[in-house]
Amino acid sequence: MARKILLFFTSLRLTVVLLGFSMALVFFGTLDQVNYGIHETQQRYFESFLVVWNPLPPFSDSPFARIGLPLPGGYLLGPLLLINLIAAQAFRFRWNWQKSGILLIHGGLVLLILSEFITDFYAEERQMWLDEGQTKNWAESFMENEIVLIDQTDPSLQTVYAIDADDLRSGQWIDDDRLPVRIFVETYLPNARIRRTGPNENIPPQATHGAAASMGLFAQYAPETFKDNEINADTAIIRIFAGENELGSWMISNLFDERFPTQTFALGDKTYEIALRFKRSYYPFSITLLDFTHKRYPGTEIPMDFSSRVIVTNPEEGVERESLIYMNHPLRYGGNTFYQASFANQDTSSMLQVVKNPGWTLPYISVTLVGIGLVVQFTLGLTRSRVIRNSRKKEVRS
Amino acid sequence: MSPMIRKLIPWLAFLLGLAYVGSGWFPKKLSPTFDYESFGKLPVQVGGRIKPLDSVARNNLLILSERQKATLPSEEPGGEDQSVPALIWLLEVATRPEVADRMKVFRVLHPQLRNTLGIMDDAGKVFSYNDLQPYLGEISRLREQVNEDPDQRDSFEEAVLRLNENLTRYHRLLHSFHPLGALDQLTLEYESYELIIAPGLAQLSMQQNGAPHDEQILNNFMAFADRYLKLSQQAMLRVVPPGSDQPVDTDWENVGDSLLRSIQTGSIAPTVLQYAQLTEAYRAGNAEAFNQTVQDMRASFRAKFPSEKFRVSFEFLFNAAEPFYRASVLYVLVLVLVLISWLRWGPVLNSSAYALLLAAFLIHTLGLFARMYIQGRPPVTNLYSSAVFVGWGAVLLGIIFERFFRNGFGSATSALIGFSTLIIAHHLSLSGDTLEMMRAVLDSNFWLATHVIVITIGYSGVFLAGALAVFAILRGVLTSSLDRKTEKAIYSMTYGITCFSILFSFVGTMLGGIWADQSWGRFWGWDPKENGA
Repeated sequence: MARKILLFFTSLRLTVVLLGFSMALVFFGTLDQVNYGIHETQQRYFESFLVVWNPLPPFSDSPFARIGLPLPGGYLLGPLLLINLIAAQAFRFRWNWQKSGILLIHGGLVLLILSEFITDFYAEERQMWLDEGQTKNWAESFMENEIVLIDQTDPSLQTVYAIDADDLRSGQWIDDDRLPVRIFVETYLPNARIRRTGPNENIPPQATHGAAASMGLFAQYAPETFKDNEINADTAIIRIFAGENELGSWMISNLFDERFPTQTFALGDKTYEIALRFKRSYYPFSITLLDFTHKRYPGTEIPMDFSSRVIVTNPEEGVERESLIYMNHPLRYGGNTFYQASFANQDTSSMLQVVKNPGWTLPYISVTLVGIGLVVQFTLGLTRSRVIRNSRKKEVRS
Repeated sequence: MSPMIRKLIPWLAFLLGLAYVGSGWFPKKLSPTFDYESFGKLPVQVGGRIKPLDSVARNNLLILSERQKATLPSEEPGGEDQSVPALIWLLEVATRPEVADRMKVFRVLHPQLRNTLGIMDDAGKVFSYNDLQPYLGEISRLREQVNEDPDQRDSFEEAVLRLNENLTRYHRLLHSFHPLGALDQLTLEYESYELIIAPGLAQLSMQQNGAPHDEQILNNFMAFADRYLKLSQQAMLRVVPPGSDQPVDTDWENVGDSLLRSIQTGSIAPTVLQYAQLTEAYRAGNAEAFNQTVQDMRASFRAKFPSEKFRVSFEFLFNAAEPFYRASVLYVLVLVLVLISWLRWGPVLNSSAYALLLAAFLIHTLGLFARMYIQGRPPVTNLYSSAVFVGWGAVLLGIIFERFFRNGFGSATSALIGFSTLIIAHHLSLSGDTLEMMRAVLDSNFWLATHVIVITIGYSGVFLAGALAVFAILRGVLTSSLDRKTEKAIYSMTYGITCFSILFSFVGTMLGGIWADQSWGRFWGWDPKENGA
């Protein structure tokens, strides 16, 4: 029995089947990218154990819309390939000089698959919008949201309580000993249209306090968007309780930016700000944008170069470093990499993509290993075939 | 056949092939009187790049008509139509619009569009501006109805859009060298403009200060300024180079901009004046004055930018030599020779085919390097150049195989791939300049030279392996000439080349991931193009 299992996991047949499924996964994923965009497709196809591909676009009314093709997802295929590869190398291939190329190739591939998992679980992508002259020590996600309670009593020392918002559902309690209050999520909309109610509309207010109450805002369900150039306006109606005592209800949304009044409530002698915003990462250093430039080829709209000149300051470590970030030349600092990503406001605002990926060096090592392995293997093969040919010639002569 | 002759024939084939591809680099003069060639070498800045007018002529004619030549129908009934090279067509556009308007350059093929415009089948496929003039109103009306969203357009709308763009392109070319109007008196126009600038400005400031002023001078001056402002918005080519104190790749000016800037400088740029003289000379049939002006213009550019002087005229020569066209002709010849050699006269024809293949590869290589020199970039920068390069790599590998195995398979597959990739490249070139500038993300010679080259060599290998196998199957099935020894040789060739391709494709793909990590922090952006790779 154990032998059978071993044979199964070391077999080349398994490799071929898994690679076949991987190709199908990539193919159908590429088709679905049209409907779901890059991030959603990655989650459905690669960060999952099973995925069902539907030939019809989402929200189709056709009775066939539910018929789909089930495929193993990336979390199933990746580990199986990894096991298959390691098992085959350990038990099927002989370890000798003739096979050293294969060993190198397989080592590189194992590293590549591992690096993909590390990237998947630990990599973090954030965006940092900076106007010229502006300084920031945080960057935000463009997908994930958080609900924050900020203790504003002492402006010099803000305490931020952050709650992951992406898994919240309507009717859920947020109850944690570390939070000063209990929060009841009355409604959670993954995307919403928010409008002002007209004077003649007889719509009851959705919240008793804050912007919704004072500005007469009304949030309505909107289908989630998967387009790369649109964002989902996550919006929630929450009720806040201190013990059993209800303090009121608020509407919070990631659409409410600096132009909206800050929503606060008082509890005892403390004042808290409450907001729903794109998830932020704070850094122990700050970035100041000195200058953004955008060059085009003369007489055309073809961009030649975008670049941001920035200063990194880290008072604790006594670092003050100036750097030019431009295409293909990111800034690497403190485990984060800053890329030139976008710009706006007549070339006075710059967006840096901030990526933290602890596994970023692994693919570099992997490609080197596999490259060397392939060269070694083919050279060995070539010399061997020459040796065979020469020995045959000798046979013919003798 | 004596062994001597057998040895000579392949050498002869090689020399003939060389003579054929080499002759392109010594173009014969278009006319004994007018120096068209020097006109074709005049530099302009288009699409961010400095190129000779000859390239402008070829690119634009190719976009309008998909042909390298225009047709000028005879004015008398029954007379013979004239075939006009691209360069002369552009000169006519620049100097004698009334003649250029009669040349057939606009290709209108879409059957529904022809029906809507009422163009009959016997009217031909290519039309002159004069032919289309009655339909201009209808065309622009149809343009208004075209769907704004490019994804929603049908082929009719695409055809309308294209015809409309082509008409605009032609219009903008007409306005690229000087304002239209009395073309025989251009110098006079410029002279009177130059004279009125100072008094005109004086009257203008008086008017603005509310002081009494001469209405007639002011109106005259404003009419000029208005005319040149419109010109500056219409002109397509930037023909006026910057001063010698600035680098050559700063913004050049178009005629209109330059004439407007004369208001500040008080004098008209020499290039603008020279184009006027050139126009008048050509219209008057004065070859001597025309040639002199063109020479002066080239001399002053060379004096201003000595580092650029060779590149622009080299591109002219490169255009004339048509290396890729000539290479593809030879590739066809090679293929035919090898196919015959499998039936008769094997060894001699095979060696001759190999010799011709070497000549074709030589000119293919030369063309590749010429493009690298003109653009100052590694060989692969866009789809066009990748087609050229994939073909080149496959031919190189095929030649190496032929050198070892001598069975015609290397030659045949090289020739087939060389020819088909160059045909594909030719069709890709119909959309415009193939030496375009690189967008910011791609603007990296290091990655262009590593990732792109490595992966396209991988493609070359895969193509070659595929073509080898196809040839082996066809020859085995259709003829009885495939023996065991050849079969074995082909097998090891295909195996070897597949190993080679795996190495290059893998390393190339991974380098692409690393480039992506360098540019935006993700190894895999889930781009359909990446997934395809």
